[in-house]
Amino acid sequence: MGVQDAWIIPVIPLGAFVIIALFHNILPRKGDWLSILAILTSFVLSILVLIDGLTDYPSRLPGTRSWEWLTAGRFSIEIGFHVDEIALVMLIVVTTVALMVNIYSVGYMKERHGLTEEEARRLGAAGHGAEAAHGSLPASVPEPRYGWFFAALSLFAFSMLTLVLADNLLLVYVGWELVGLCSFLLIGFYWERRSAAEAAKKAFVTTRIGDVGMLIGIILLWRATGTFNIRDILEAAERGAIDPLYLTVAALFLFMGPVGKSAQMPLHVWLPDAMEGPTPVSALIHAATMVVAGVYLVARMLPLFEAADVTLVILAVGMTTAVFAAIVALAQTDLKRVIAYSTLSNLGIMMAALGAGSVTAAMFHLMTHAFFKAGLFLCAGSVIHATHVQEIGPLGGLLKKQKITGWTFIIVALANAGIIPLAGFWSKDEILHAIQTETHVTWFLVALLWVFISGVYTWRLVGYTFLGRPRDPHIYEHVHESPASMTLPLVVLAALSVVAGFVVIPDVARAIGLPGGFGELVYTTGGHAEAYHFNGELALAGTLAAVLGILFAWWLVADLRRPQRLAAAMPGPYHLVRNKFYFDEMYQWLIDRVVLVVAYGVAWFDRHLINDTGVDGTSNLLNYFGFRLKFAQTGKLPNYALAIVVGVIALAVIAFSART
Amino acid sequence: MIPMEHVLVLGGLLFAIGVYGVLARRNAVLILLSVELMLNAVNLNLIAFNAYLRPTAATGMAFAVFVIVIAAAEAGLALAIILRLFRNRRTANVDEADLLKW
Repeated sequence: MGVQDAWIIPVIPLGAFVIIALFHNILPRKGDWLSILAILTSFVLSILVLIDGLTDYPSRLPGTRSWEWLTAGRFSIEIGFHVDEIALVMLIVVTTVALMVNIYSVGYMKERHGLTEEEARRLGAAGHGAEAAHGSLPASVPEPRYGWFFAALSLFAFSMLTLVLADNLLLVYVGWELVGLCSFLLIGFYWERRSAAEAAKKAFVTTRIGDVGMLIGIILLWRATGTFNIRDILEAAERGAIDPLYLTVAALFLFMGPVGKSAQMPLHVWLPDAMEGPTPVSALIHAATMVVAGVYLVARMLPLFEAADVTLVILAVGMTTAVFAAIVALAQTDLKRVIAYSTLSNLGIMMAALGAGSVTAAMFHLMTHAFFKAGLFLCAGSVIHATHVQEIGPLGGLLKKQKITGWTFIIVALANAGIIPLAGFWSKDEILHAIQTETHVTWFLVALLWVFISGVYTWRLVGYTFLGRPRDPHIYEHVHESPASMTLPLVVLAALSVVAGFVVIPDVARAIGLPGGFGELVYTTGGHAEAYHFNGELALAGTLAAVLGILFAWWLVADLRRPQRLAAAMPGPYHLVRNKFYFDEMYQWLIDRVVLVVAYGVAWFDRHLINDTGVDGTSNLLNYFGFRLKFAQTGKLPNYALAIVVGVIALAVIAFSART
Repeated sequence: MIPMEHVLVLGGLLFAIGVYGVLARRNAVLILLSVELMLNAVNLNLIAFNAYLRPTAATGMAFAVFVIVIAAAEAGLALAIILRLFRNRRTANVDEADLLKW
């Protein structure tokens, strides 16, 4: 399995998707094993490709292969695959997390949770006997669309892997839209619930705003260079073959895509709402893989953004998102929503790292984040599975009853906060290093603030959910540890969150057979390899900020009257943060007052001027004259004869007078 | 020899009478007769031009023969139409045959 054959990796899940989508009703277990088998094969193949790519490093990279798709004159489109170090990282991350999530879903998706009794009755009427809701717990029914869920997961794996491997922007765009479609399908998986349907629509429309900009950017770049091929475009941009202003405009348009897909400000509003989807989906699509597509694309195209001189925009957008989302996460009470804002925040810091020019730091954080954030979500799913509630209010003390879930959650949470020696620490350190060396010191201070806030919200979540005393004894009574198919992925992801960070240290990386540390392998073409050096002061600053945050949160939630008093002490900022800085309200106002008003105006113009006056008006006029003129036809022969004679005489007169 | 103008005036008068007949008559048969009159007026003109202006050529006469042939065919067709009209409507008055109007 050489690097040239990497194109097989996305094709396998595609086959699984087709088979499951068509035959899930007759397949045993509705085809879930097929999806797992497909992604397992892809995972193994990815490992083989990784091994092959790193043999005799770097002679075999990048591996490419392309076919002609269509030709029209001199214009041709190719399907091409391109495997370089960045793509290898993504391959491993995507297939690993997808595999874990597939296994986890077997346990999690068996039943549908958190239904109101009415919903349960409606789903139960479809042929599945609804279990009676016991006590105050909401009802559960067997999942009616179990097979379709796995089909969609397979489709997602195909789309994401295509996007990762594509060597031209057009194929990237195809994968980009396909993952958007999968995201829409899976957010709206519980479409019987109105909020889920709304969230799916919101995600689709919001990301589409970015995607339109991206398409414009792609077309602009194609117009300037005559190719969609990423390497050719980067080469042209670096050579200065494109007019600087034109390049800047094109790069900014192109950047809109990542802003939408990676949920950067101001298009971030869809990601927290995407938590309406099943938790495995939140872990796979809205934390570990799809949302980092934007980061990946920017990393891939970074030389272009540098040539276009827009890295400061990327840095500013990323850092704003990071700090904003971390602050909002402080005051949310929905378990998944806090983690969603944490995802936003981490995506922001990855963007910021790219803005500082470090592909290494961004891709490294992308990898470690994928592991610990998928872990966080799957742990949250395990909690939801056991308690049937998502609000952290009635939880507490779950560590005693859910030992595996609880401890893995604490490990991945500490990784998220960036505590040495977990994976999050190393990648955060890389990012801090990049921001400190490449940008103004203000950005570095903001990044330290971000580390502190991350520590606070992370431990607040741990404290509310797993520590302290149970606040609702009735829920606590029914809590049980989740089945092995769910805890196994948790353990694997927690283990990865512990060890994945070490690959940055060259000696460790060489010891496990890699040709060099992460920083020596993953960097932009034309950039320079950078071996990791442990910087004591930087590590101390980062760790101190995180530990302070955790200690503060520990103190805060040790007595639950403290957060209440804190909120009461400053009601203004509290409500601002609690309501996510009123972004949704702002957009609602914008839609109601601006978009709809303009739309009504345009609709009026279209209905009255274009349609009634223009189209119908012309035909009405002709109808009217036709109606009036038809009475000139008497049907009497002499009238016609007379008209002929008069006409002939008139013509004769005209002819004679014209001659003389 | 009679001057050409005399023949042409005669043709013109015959044509005018024919036109008057077509316009003024209401009986379909009489209208048909008037049309024949107009055709013959034209024939007269054709013969006159042939005889006076190109005595050696036979173009005018050939045209006249064509007109006669077509007039005969037309008379047969028109009379058949008039006959059908009369059978259906019990009249040959063209004012009452106004089915073609709106």
